[in-house]
Amino acid sequence: MSSTIEGFGLGLRSEHYGDFRATRQRVDWLEVISENYLVDGGKPLHFLESIRQDYPMVMHGVSLSIGSSDALDTDYLRQLRRLADRIEPAWVSDHLCWTGTRSLNLHDLLPLPYNVATLQHLTPRIAQVQDVLGRALVIENVSSYVRYRADEMSEWEFIRELVSRTGCELLLDVNNVYVSSVNHGFDAQDFIDAMPASAVRQIHLAGHEDHGQYIIDTHDHPICEAVWDLYAYTVRRLGRLPTMIERDDNIPPLHELIDELDVARSVAQAALNERKRAA
Amino acid sequence: MVLAELQRRFQEAVLGGNPLPDLFAGEEEGLAGGFDLYLQAYRSRLAAALRDNFPVLHRALGDDAFSTLAGAYIREHPSRFRSIRWFGDSLTDFIARFPERVGHPALLDLARMDWAMRAAFDAADSAATKLPDLAALHADEWPEHRFHLMPSLQILDLTWAVEPLWKALNDDAEARTEEPQIQEHALLIWRPALDCCWRSAEAGEAAALRALGESENFAHWCAALAKAGEPEPAMAAATLLRRWVEEGLLAKSAVPV
Repeated sequence: MSSTIEGFGLGLRSEHYGDFRATRQRVDWLEVISENYLVDGGKPLHFLESIRQDYPMVMHGVSLSIGSSDALDTDYLRQLRRLADRIEPAWVSDHLCWTGTRSLNLHDLLPLPYNVATLQHLTPRIAQVQDVLGRALVIENVSSYVRYRADEMSEWEFIRELVSRTGCELLLDVNNVYVSSVNHGFDAQDFIDAMPASAVRQIHLAGHEDHGQYIIDTHDHPICEAVWDLYAYTVRRLGRLPTMIERDDNIPPLHELIDELDVARSVAQAALNERKRAA
Repeated sequence: MVLAELQRRFQEAVLGGNPLPDLFAGEEEGLAGGFDLYLQAYRSRLAAALRDNFPVLHRALGDDAFSTLAGAYIREHPSRFRSIRWFGDSLTDFIARFPERVGHPALLDLARMDWAMRAAFDAADSAATKLPDLAALHADEWPEHRFHLMPSLQILDLTWAVEPLWKALNDDAEARTEEPQIQEHALLIWRPALDCCWRSAEAGEAAALRALGESENFAHWCAALAKAGEPEPAMAAATLLRRWVEEGLLAKSAVPV
């Protein structure tokens, strides 16, 4: 099983299991939602293992709740480790967020207050996760619709400091940067400029819904022009990075996503050429 | 404010539908940014999970009635699950306590069938016992031989004959259906390989199948059949075993927990 992640990937969705099993697709690697495979058996694990034979994979979780004030769920961490041992992903990622407290789960990626106390809360927890997984945790920035009064710094300052304190790596979601920049009125390029280039392992691209006052991170549309522009800027700043498209609703036929991946390839190539010229 | 208190207040506001939890920039002016988006997303995400986990009940009730049921359930049963896939585990109990919420008492059995099918879908795998496995047993091995049920197998005791309704709506959301009739019986749901199977069964067969799963060995099971009033337990055992093996109801070995 190859584990090298380079180039352009997609999120593996059950709607496309048949396509991936039928023939080799023009997709360099796949990202799988960890929780979809934390089950005892049946089709999900069967198809995952079969498709894993042909594609490098990374695991992406949605319920680690690294920022919750509850203790980390050690059963969940052990399950995650078992799945990682089974499919040997190049890395394991989850979100810089909390999903619930007092043993409840709101099943959402909720933003954290960006302050020193939260950094102090996260530092030993990330170490605990990295111990169990036996590898660096890759953390993704979330999109958000609120700002706390308790914030003491910007999100990008917070992320830089988190990387510095914990050695975690980053999954930079360019769409989430764009969504939050519009919702909160900051310059998305400031966010990208602040990312520690050596820590960024992966890029996410996705579509969103524009509701006027707010943009909502829905993953149910093609990627919009403004996000393509921000992606080009990101590649110019950070260089070549494994990039994938997330689509979780209104899932189109696989060939449409592969066409969209071709757009990502050409945007990245043009940005790399510019980067080379500017160097 | 410490993180635990901030999160407690955020969560209570989401669960209680309070748009101004006194946490966010802008609340002084009566605007909590986009907090209402979190309130809406919470309810719609959990309702969508219930629709996924109870697809045929959703079709039977229609969007509006299912949405009302889901809303009431979400208010009473906030999720404690790491994965949303398990949300709805108490919906059948919830319906049993308030059957008027689904309009017809048979829909409780329909919901139980939905949930059991979902559970069988990703239950633990096991190779099925095949007839040659039994043929390979020596005569003196039979009394001590332990049989195992498929880990995906569920035996439901139903009051209503809901299977035709479930099948019709599962195959076609717009199917014309008939009202189910009262009929006490059992429903077997299992997954011999990758695809789920189901069939109705007499109560006696279901009891024998449960007894096989609980019996230490074949001899004990035959004794249990005799005790249950089976006049020719050995003959009955052979007939049942053959059918169950052919259907893939029995596992080759116990699945480690």
